[in-house]
Amino acid sequence: MSSVVSFDALVLAPVLAPAAGALAVLVLDVAAPRLRVAHHAVGVLALLAGLAFAVPAALGVESAPARSLCLPAPAGACFYEAGPLAGALQLGALASALVVLLLVWPDRGTEPGTESGIEPARDPLRGGPAVVVALVLAATAGAAAVAAAKDLGSWLVALELATLPAVALVALRGTSRASAGAVSLLTTSLVSFAMVALGAALWLVAAGQPVFSVAAVERAHAAHDTWAVLLLGVLLLAGGLGFKLSLVPFHAWTPQAYAGGTEPVAAFLAATSKVAALAALVAVLRPLSAAQAAVLVVVGVVAVASMTLGNVLALVQDDPVRLLAWSTVAQAGWVVLPLATVVPAGLAASGGYLLAYVIATLVAFAVVVLVVHAAGPTGDPAAGRTLAAYKGMLRTRPLLGAALGLALVSLAGLPPGVVGLVAKVLALRPVVAQGLWVLALFAVANAVLGVAVYLRWFAVLFQEADAAVGTAIPSARRAPRGPLAALALSATALVLVSVAPQLLLGLVA
Amino acid sequence: MVILIALLVPAAVAVWLLGAGRHLAHQVVNRVALVAAAVTLSAVVASVVARPSIDRPWVPALDLRWQFAVDGISAPLLVMTAVLGLAVVAHSSRRRPEGGTSAAFHACLLLVVAGALGTFYARDAILFFVAFEVVLVPMWVLITRFGDAHRAEERADAGARFVLYTALGSTLMLVGILGLVSAAGTADLQVLARGAGSGIPRHTQLLIALALVSGLAVKVPLFPAHTWLPSAHTIAPTAGSVLLAAVLLKMGTYGLVRLPVATVPDAFGRLAPLVAVVGAVGILWGGLACLVERDLKRLIAYSSVAHMGFVALGLASGTRTGLQAALFANVAHGVVSALLFFVVGGLKERWGSADLAVARAALREVTPRLGFALVVGLAASLGLPGLAGFWGEFLSLYAVWSPAGDRPAGLLRATAVAGALGTVLAAAYALRVARIVWMGERVEPAIADSRGVEWVVVGGLVVAALVLGVLPQVLLSVTSDAVTALVGGGS
Repeated sequence: MSSVVSFDALVLAPVLAPAAGALAVLVLDVAAPRLRVAHHAVGVLALLAGLAFAVPAALGVESAPARSLCLPAPAGACFYEAGPLAGALQLGALASALVVLLLVWPDRGTEPGTESGIEPARDPLRGGPAVVVALVLAATAGAAAVAAAKDLGSWLVALELATLPAVALVALRGTSRASAGAVSLLTTSLVSFAMVALGAALWLVAAGQPVFSVAAVERAHAAHDTWAVLLLGVLLLAGGLGFKLSLVPFHAWTPQAYAGGTEPVAAFLAATSKVAALAALVAVLRPLSAAQAAVLVVVGVVAVASMTLGNVLALVQDDPVRLLAWSTVAQAGWVVLPLATVVPAGLAASGGYLLAYVIATLVAFAVVVLVVHAAGPTGDPAAGRTLAAYKGMLRTRPLLGAALGLALVSLAGLPPGVVGLVAKVLALRPVVAQGLWVLALFAVANAVLGVAVYLRWFAVLFQEADAAVGTAIPSARRAPRGPLAALALSATALVLVSVAPQLLLGLVA
Repeated sequence: MVILIALLVPAAVAVWLLGAGRHLAHQVVNRVALVAAAVTLSAVVASVVARPSIDRPWVPALDLRWQFAVDGISAPLLVMTAVLGLAVVAHSSRRRPEGGTSAAFHACLLLVVAGALGTFYARDAILFFVAFEVVLVPMWVLITRFGDAHRAEERADAGARFVLYTALGSTLMLVGILGLVSAAGTADLQVLARGAGSGIPRHTQLLIALALVSGLAVKVPLFPAHTWLPSAHTIAPTAGSVLLAAVLLKMGTYGLVRLPVATVPDAFGRLAPLVAVVGAVGILWGGLACLVERDLKRLIAYSSVAHMGFVALGLASGTRTGLQAALFANVAHGVVSALLFFVVGGLKERWGSADLAVARAALREVTPRLGFALVVGLAASLGLPGLAGFWGEFLSLYAVWSPAGDRPAGLLRATAVAGALGTVLAAAYALRVARIVWMGERVEPAIADSRGVEWVVVGGLVVAALVLGVLPQVLLSVTSDAVTALVGGGS
């Protein structure tokens, strides 16, 4: 036999493409460091290739999940297995990373060669474009890999690959706030890694094999001792992932890291990182099918606590990025809410809710980036970072305002953001179907709180434009191309899935 | 096909107005909206006559279908919604809305109409919920942006209160719907009504009914969930108040009939005494509030709470008569409250406020047309025989006095007595308003009487209130078959 495990490059392409892209960007940077746009172009191409290869698995074209890295025939276990849900999450990770790359696309004003090859003062991220692009691509490769990882080893590696570049991305800004955010994120990641590693070790002890499979769980279920160990392991794994999903009580890093990094990096943390974390959680929970009362209660309590705390604190934020950070905490609660049922429908509901949230939140971040950009050249980076900067946006910049408005009502779960509403239905359905009425009541209360959070910002868009800050809102001609393209892409996706939610939900069901 | 026209024309025109109408003149926007509303009305009338149905998948992942149809329960509400949609647009032609562009104002009106029509057409429980939610944001915009221009803070407060209360109600309703759908295995309202809760455990039925009733009670609104209504009505522009009273509240009562009453009748029967008591308290509470209220618009809003109490009594009786009475009172209140809000809104625009404590010219002297319309509205509202309000209230009280066999007769009779007392209160506050606003000799400060479009709209509603009062059979015969299907024959 030529190799120990089978290797199918085509199946692995959603992971390999961004990884190869990251390498290519670094090589390109050695060869031609001044070609700023080229780095981004390579990154975008790599992600597009990854997207194209992820589509078959996501659509479930073949009845069996795409498998690779399989052991030889008798054992037959595969380390990589992408079913429809995993494929959909891969799509989400790749597409959101694409939007983030567009958000950091170099502006015409900062073309190279202006000042002896050094980055112009306005470039908010250190290290040049190659570093940023390579980090985003590496983290995306990790996110795509973790969605399909079947064994503990590659799952752990992929998870950390998805996390550590994010720490670097936050730190790249170089300000003291960014360092604080990065340190907070790093500390959290390390603790979370410790928990996850311990959980993985317990899983191995209990199940006897380092794979996430039904057979492994059944083996652990056979004896009372091993079952207890497995449950403890799952709790530790879920806890560690709770850090990455910004679930209460592991959420504290979120506002610091969001506000410390640049806005595109915050978008990355809010979108791609969350996809990676949920994908990892789904991989753990999928083989557990019944009788996990302890885990269920914990998930339900964590979901409610995240929603409530996130919504309440989002209500009092004045910085849109911080507001979105706390909204992430709240939405993470909604994402794990259906997981409290541990039925297959719950996993799909969770994935569907996450994807709807990712699209809407990316639109919001794209608008924030554009507004901050327009306010930035005057030298005050905080100018675009208050809700007041959005006053009257629906009048002065109707398209931008409409995109942000649609994103906000989607997050709130009200029409015309139909996708948000449908996602709420999707998330609540398994909860009610399983008869978890108390949990549903808490969710209802939080749906109302969420409406208050997002309409507070939405109402600002309607107010009379203030002459003083009216200039903070960018005009189409002066706006940078990259973020505009990112906004166009994500807003089109949002409108499409609002008209036909099936486009999104069909992926995960 | 006509159903799709009725839904998509207002929605599409609204989206177009939002996108492209920012720089159009008020008159142009109004014409466009008027044409859209007229097309919608004719499509609705055609659909009510032809009774077509649509059924095609929308979101297979959720088993959510575009499933629309018309029956006797929804037909009167559909026509009323479309007529009032046309009326509010026509009424808005006189003056440019304050607080935003005319295009946004009209777009919101059309979206509310489209959402309400969708709610009444929907035959899929989850689609019903989605359509139910469509009206929220446009109504919120109407209140917070286009409401009473003098009171910015109260506008924000009233809008937030409206949207949060109704979001709470509809999400509770969603929980009930999801429980119902997962327990019964279908979201088709017709199938659910035919099954009438068979096969669902009693305990689950009760929980479902509780979630549905408490959620819809916010929208109706029933005491004590009514506190959003007076402030929303007081602040909203005339067109918004009319749609709120005549269309949005109807979505709540319609939902009660369509969901808990039809799909889990046994569990609703167990909740009926509670509903009746709450309705009776609402009647008395609303009536008492009207006796002392100083703001005319707020007074009419409180009278809505009282009228919705009669609808609740009719539903709680569990008899055929009671259900007929509830549906009749529902439509009658739509006509009468629309009439009153058009008149009172017009008066507020002329007076500059709606404070009853300020001495003004007697309507009888200076504006005989508006005065006449107001008196007709008040008379209908207090349940004078020969006008629209009478039949709904009278039949409701009759029905709740002789309720279905499984209901506690003693308690329901007590609520009937309370309801009868409420009609006395209604007479008292109606006369109070007539005395303050309509009677008297003062002719200063003079205000202009109703003319042109406004008079056509108001006059048309006066005629409708008279027709419903004199010929109730017109409406009762439309709902009769559908009601029989719901509660079976008998009393």
